[in-house]
Amino acid sequence: MPQIFQRGANLVPLKILLVLGAFATCAMGAVWYYFTPKYTKIGYQPAQPIPFSHKVHSGQLGIDCRFCHSFVETAAHSNLPSSQVCMSCHSQVQKDNPKLEPLRQAWASGKGVPWVQIHKTPDYAYFNHSVHINRGVSCVTCHGRVDQMDVVYQAKSLTMEFCVDCHRNPQGELRPLDKVTELGWKAPTDATELAALLGKKPADLKLKAGAKLSPANAQDIMGTHFRDLRGVHPPDSNCAGCHR
Amino acid sequence: MSKRVFEHPQEEANGPQYWRSFGQLAQTPEFKEWQAREFQPGSHELNSEVGRRGFMKYMAASAALAGLSLSACRREEKTLVPFAQSSEWSVPGKPIFYATSRPHRRGAIPLVATTHDGRPTKVDGNPGHATSKGATDTQTQASLLDLYDPDRSRIFQHAGKESSEAEFTKWLADVIAKAGDGEGIAFLSEHFTSPTYGRLKKAVAAKLPKAMWVTYEPLGGSEASTANNAVFGDGFRSVSKIDKADVILSLDCDFLGFDEGRLEGIRAFSARRKPEQKMNRLYVVENRYTTTGGMADHRLRSQAGKVGAVAVAFAKAIAAATNDAALSAVVGKFAASTLSEQSAGWVVEAAKDLVAQKGKALVLVGYRQPAAVQALGHAINAALGSLGETVIGRKTHGHGGGASIKDLAVKLGLETAEQKKARVDKLVEENAVRKAKHQELLAVPAHGPSAIKTLFILGGNPAYNAPADLKFGELLAGTEVVRHGYYEDETTYSIEEDKGGEVVKRNFVKWHVPAAHYLEAWGDGTASDGSYLSQQPMILPLFGGWSEIQLLNFIATGKKADGLELVQETFNGVARGIDAVSWAKFLHDGFLPNPSAKEPLAFNADGAQKLAEGYKVSDAEFEVVFAPCAKVDDGRFANNAWIQELPDPITKITWDNAAIISPATAEKLGLLAKLGDGRLNFDNGTFLSVEANGVVLEIPAVIIPGTADGSITIALGYGRGSEGRVGGRRGNYMSHGGWFSNKGAVGFNAYTLRTVANHYVATASVKKTSRAVYKLAVTQEHGALEGRGPDVYRESTDPKFNARDNDWLHKHNAMDSHAEKVDDLGYPVSQSAYPHPPLNDKNHQWAMAVDLSVCTGCSACMIACQSENNIPVVGKEQVIEGRELHWIRMDRYFATPMNSREDKSFSLGEARMVMQPMPCQHCENAPCETVCPVNATVHSDDGINVMAYNRCIGTRYCANNCPFKVRRFNFFDFNERQKDKYFRQNLVNEKGMADTLKLSKNPNVTVRMRGVMEKCTFCVQRVQEAKIAAKVKAKDSDNVQVPTDAFKVACQQVCPTSAITFGNKADAKSAVNRDIANPRAYRVFDYLGIKPRVHYLARIMNPNLAMPKWSQPLEEGATA
Repeated sequence: MPQIFQRGANLVPLKILLVLGAFATCAMGAVWYYFTPKYTKIGYQPAQPIPFSHKVHSGQLGIDCRFCHSFVETAAHSNLPSSQVCMSCHSQVQKDNPKLEPLRQAWASGKGVPWVQIHKTPDYAYFNHSVHINRGVSCVTCHGRVDQMDVVYQAKSLTMEFCVDCHRNPQGELRPLDKVTELGWKAPTDATELAALLGKKPADLKLKAGAKLSPANAQDIMGTHFRDLRGVHPPDSNCAGCHR
Repeated sequence: MSKRVFEHPQEEANGPQYWRSFGQLAQTPEFKEWQAREFQPGSHELNSEVGRRGFMKYMAASAALAGLSLSACRREEKTLVPFAQSSEWSVPGKPIFYATSRPHRRGAIPLVATTHDGRPTKVDGNPGHATSKGATDTQTQASLLDLYDPDRSRIFQHAGKESSEAEFTKWLADVIAKAGDGEGIAFLSEHFTSPTYGRLKKAVAAKLPKAMWVTYEPLGGSEASTANNAVFGDGFRSVSKIDKADVILSLDCDFLGFDEGRLEGIRAFSARRKPEQKMNRLYVVENRYTTTGGMADHRLRSQAGKVGAVAVAFAKAIAAATNDAALSAVVGKFAASTLSEQSAGWVVEAAKDLVAQKGKALVLVGYRQPAAVQALGHAINAALGSLGETVIGRKTHGHGGGASIKDLAVKLGLETAEQKKARVDKLVEENAVRKAKHQELLAVPAHGPSAIKTLFILGGNPAYNAPADLKFGELLAGTEVVRHGYYEDETTYSIEEDKGGEVVKRNFVKWHVPAAHYLEAWGDGTASDGSYLSQQPMILPLFGGWSEIQLLNFIATGKKADGLELVQETFNGVARGIDAVSWAKFLHDGFLPNPSAKEPLAFNADGAQKLAEGYKVSDAEFEVVFAPCAKVDDGRFANNAWIQELPDPITKITWDNAAIISPATAEKLGLLAKLGDGRLNFDNGTFLSVEANGVVLEIPAVIIPGTADGSITIALGYGRGSEGRVGGRRGNYMSHGGWFSNKGAVGFNAYTLRTVANHYVATASVKKTSRAVYKLAVTQEHGALEGRGPDVYRESTDPKFNARDNDWLHKHNAMDSHAEKVDDLGYPVSQSAYPHPPLNDKNHQWAMAVDLSVCTGCSACMIACQSENNIPVVGKEQVIEGRELHWIRMDRYFATPMNSREDKSFSLGEARMVMQPMPCQHCENAPCETVCPVNATVHSDDGINVMAYNRCIGTRYCANNCPFKVRRFNFFDFNERQKDKYFRQNLVNEKGMADTLKLSKNPNVTVRMRGVMEKCTFCVQRVQEAKIAAKVKAKDSDNVQVPTDAFKVACQQVCPTSAITFGNKADAKSAVNRDIANPRAYRVFDYLGIKPRVHYLARIMNPNLAMPKWSQPLEEGATA
């Protein structure tokens, strides 16, 4: 009677284990990646009632963020503009564009335009825009290059890790207060320029005049300067900073 | 490190003993259970019809359903809708504050309302107004919840059927058109102080000159105005300047309670109560403990009906000492009365003290006392030279007066027995003449014919709270009633229940008009100092309610006004002209000051003598006292869940009222429940049958020391017969079978005993009944602390007393005295086994100080905290289990000499009462933090013990390890479920908060879910807001420190006594640093090395050492 199980069968359990192991690893990897906010949230780009282009308004026309988001410096919420703000231009410009019909309706009826929310912090996290804007954290830090987006999408994960990383190392994101809404602005990589920006001589920063810095290095030098100047100590271990 | 064991030295018998209940005094096993455990045994179990198995079944079902729906897979799309038209001042996420006021019969209360996105979320006192200075009271705080009450009246009703505003106005216009000169029309209103109301009332009276006007307040002070008018002349009233008084004698006057107190009176008293200034001295004569009695240096228990005898004794002693002819004449008119030897000795010494402080003495007589006694009080003040000094005059305001409710009742058909008999006889005669057969007999109406055709009832609830002998509810059936009310209650219809439990509503009023809340309507008011207050709407009427001025205006003009123009017209008259600037300033400030705040007073002895003639001191063995409730007022707050769950300041009863009796009375009535090893224990909740004015009320007893023997006090405002999920006739939900019934009314209605003649005090006969003991939700033993007296509460009679003085601590055997090392402030150096948190924030270290010298225990802080921090209520059944969620516990202790148990001559009835508010102590070395397995409770770098709700997994280890027992656990989803739906077969469905209640929440505080711990956060949302504001202002500079005392926490803000200071310890100029450095400062359980951040300032009393020995406030050994 021939053997039911050939010699090669000895390896079958091992193969099964290997395949199962590989499968489990893949599954874990997939969950690890696909189930995180990095994957599920970044790129969220719902259709809006009006195809409003930040690229046109902010990027090409150069309208400052605060023209529409007018309370971002004073309040916890960064407000959406009222229809009145839109109509201050669009009662003259593009006043017959069919895409603006929802706006005109809103203006006529008094019921605002229902924009779809993109960036959302959980109910138990209390984010405050004003304190970030007034202490030199740019809009771009959390919202990305909105001035280059035709339709706005979520650019950063906005997870607790994302927040805490920056709260632990705020120098990575601090910049001059007048550059907060210039989304494309970056720390100058020329040592002389950088030192001039900070009101110092290159030697004060232990740099050679005219030396080229990497962008990351330049940001680090600038951010550290502002962190010390402003005494920035964001809540990094104080839960109550964000959870109340 | 070896385990530290405290060798507790033997407790010596020198110093007062503090106890919360008779159970603690007797150390019953039940009490020891409460003391040893954070939560009651079994409180962690689903102690209900649904056992553990049922629970697992439902949980499995709900898990399966959750899995099926896969609701979490797709992100929910949410929209953000900005305004179409920009709105001035409206910044999303920023609160807007408006000055407004709350109407109140004793003067409107000036307020600042906080609105978030157009919805009011908090009310606080107007800091600019002299009567408030930012403080408010319990009921004002809770009045916010009334705005969002889902049970409030929502629709116009015509004879019980839904109708509309248009139909009502059509009908009303028709009635007014046909009214002619107003004959047959009557108005019954509450006491309004609004000048616009007064103006419109005149306009209506001019249009309908023969209409009858009646003002009725169940807790009004008609006796007080009678006395004032007799003694000082019409239109004047006396106002006490408590801050000017060095010695105060209160004769049944609860001027520190909200029953008759005014915020400025409490503030004035407290300002003189801190031993750092010259202290005042307070003598109190009362029948039961009130918050005023708790503050007394010397207190005399007396039946309320016999307070007159004490007043006469005082008057005689003072008349003799001052040779005041007017006082002698007045007191001579009083019938002779006698006092016990003890009381007489007390009066003699106290009177000497009053005379010695002539010109700086003040006698206050409670408004519930008969006019004769009040007039006698005025006479004593006149003899003591107080008029113009501690008592000043003011012109009366408000629009009371007119006919009484009894006059109205007579017009409505109330008859005397003879009249009724005559009427019935006449009917019988008629029937005889008609030779009617049995079925044709003319029915005998319950009351006579009504002379009133149409009765307008503006506010109030007369069918419930009018004197019982008027049978007002029945009288209403005979006339056409237009009822303007906030609830559809007893006055709107009466309820009968069929045997099958089916509810039958009958006797509907003709029209029910929903009333607008004061936060929804334009109006105005007069504050207690006579200044003119604005009342602005914060939100449009949620259910289209009308304000009373809108209704009156419609009657006067036939048009529905917005309210704004009505108030502006009044303002035009009051301010002598109106323009955009003056109107805007009025709305901004919230008030116009009263230019003539002080009037001269002339005492008229004749008036007092006339009043004295008809007065006789009661000689009843038992009296029943109808006391205003410190919580529900006259019953109007009965459907307010915050109010119902607030423990009464004295009895600590929630969700009920009870008959308050003294231990001696309890013994006499046979309520002595247990007698073991010679110690007494009393069980609360035994039913008494109280008979007064021919009516019997069965009500459970609660035994409170300090109550006069033979005096039974019952708070009014309970036992409502109306619907209403909170305080209605089925408001008390109980799942435990066999207690009484699953649903019952909240409390017992004492209005049924009350008559026109015996409005506040009635002679009663009382006996024990055999009914099963009633389960009262008393919180007095909840959170009972370990440790001995001075570890928790410190007090002295010596103004130079130093709470950190080791000598004093040794004398009292406080554990602090055994500390090995103390720091330079006198606090024990931390001996914790755990590392001290780094506390990195150099700019901010938050701390609190509570001054026990001034805290009256009024509990307004508890409601302010509840409103600010979105704290849910849990219901009576859950309170019994010890699951209430208040973040501040107001601990009420009775204090007796240490050896009082053995000392047979000492009566438990003489126990003193002290109060201690206990929020989270924010220990630097917090015991709760070290045991949390998930770091859900940790220390912030600015010294706050914070809770991250989302981390909490509900092990409750932290609560177990908290020596102060200040942590609260969400045993159920108290926010999302109603109290009868916590677990009854409803684990899957029936969730959700009423929409209106959602509007009431503070958006800056997380609404907690089931299974998480919570506790006082030092109002971290306000702390963070202040820190963020400082950073926003700092811009490029590093000056991020919050300006000194720039903000207040909720409990501090509301406190009318300024007992609480909160601030930044890292800021040398802060008020809290000043208090911490005060030698009276101490920390509870400091010997544990936990370094609490809440400091208490020891209570100092100012007794008169000449008083008889038995009324000494502290034992000899207690004075340092």
